[in-house]
Amino acid sequence: MKPLVDIAGAVRDCIVAAWVDTRTGAVLEQHVLRDGPLVATAVGAATEVMRSSERPPRMVLLSARHVHIVQRVAGDPRRALIVICERSPNIGLALALVRAFIEPELA
Amino acid sequence: MIDGAPIAVEVLHVLERMPSGASGALVREQADGTMAGALLVEHGRVCWAMSRRYRIRLTDLLVAEQGTLCAAQLDEVVALCHRERMPLGETLIARGLVSLPVLHRVLLRHTCEALDCLVRDDASPWAWVEHSGYGYHPMLTFSATEVLAGVRAIANPPLAARALERLRAVVRADQRGFAIERASGAKLPLAQLGCDGVDLALLADLAAQAHEVMAVATAVELDAAITELDGFACASWIEDNVLFVLLCNGELAFNRLLAQVAAMTTHT
Repeated sequence: MKPLVDIAGAVRDCIVAAWVDTRTGAVLEQHVLRDGPLVATAVGAATEVMRSSERPPRMVLLSARHVHIVQRVAGDPRRALIVICERSPNIGLALALVRAFIEPELA
Repeated sequence: MIDGAPIAVEVLHVLERMPSGASGALVREQADGTMAGALLVEHGRVCWAMSRRYRIRLTDLLVAEQGTLCAAQLDEVVALCHRERMPLGETLIARGLVSLPVLHRVLLRHTCEALDCLVRDDASPWAWVEHSGYGYHPMLTFSATEVLAGVRAIANPPLAARALERLRAVVRADQRGFAIERASGAKLPLAQLGCDGVDLALLADLAAQAHEVMAVATAVELDAAITELDGFACASWIEDNVLFVLLCNGELAFNRLLAQVAAMTTHT
């Protein structure tokens, strides 16, 4: 497992990156760059969706200010990476970076 | 009066009884054995519904919809078609009396309103009667999804019309879309665009999942979600208590939807 600091450093204006267990919702590891009330609730919300019956393989949630990227590990669907960052014009790049981090062969 | 959403659920169950690709009728009878009404099906598509409790004639709806038509003109064509055994819809189009979109819309409305009445009727359970076919033109028949959304829209026509208008504004050529009223319990489309080929059960699943995702997203003040669900890239957002869902598949579908929805939410 690559260190979270790598993806947190690569994604522009990253707020937090975390590994979560999609079965239990437990945060396995997290790297917080800017702590605040957003972090725990946002990680909790993303985890909640990944715990749902369908468990989408990937998901992006948007607000006017923030982007939440959630990607499950293809070889280990019980684990998902959550990256929350400030909204920037190139959300697609952040998405590609998360994907490349989690599945280097898919990038 | 039963709310529109439970009726739409009943209609969903009726439509799921149609054997795939078959032609025939789903029939209900009254206690005395006479017919309460029927849903006619040809090659798996709905052609027509009739109910003893639904008294509005197709010609009444056509006159109301197309101002250039008068009842006398229509009655004349109806009598001709009856006498010569000609199909009414095709004859109306051939004579330039109605356009295909108007006829399609009016036929769908008539069918959905009749089906709504038939579902509410205190009649026997539905029975399937096989038939070799009625000879309806495919353009004048309806998918189960069209009928389901049409029945769901009866409960709130202005809301359904606004939702359809919004879908027309956002759904692109390679996409499909539908809208669900969030207030109701059942997650069934109020309006849809291009979802004809999507299996009804899959559509209901996608609607429930999109609703679930957005319930969580809105709890943390997020405006939109793009997810991978059942092989589709799926974007969802809420406007005026209506949940909109766009579906797209193929390579880079997820990224295309993300870019589209990102552009929409920039301005919120």
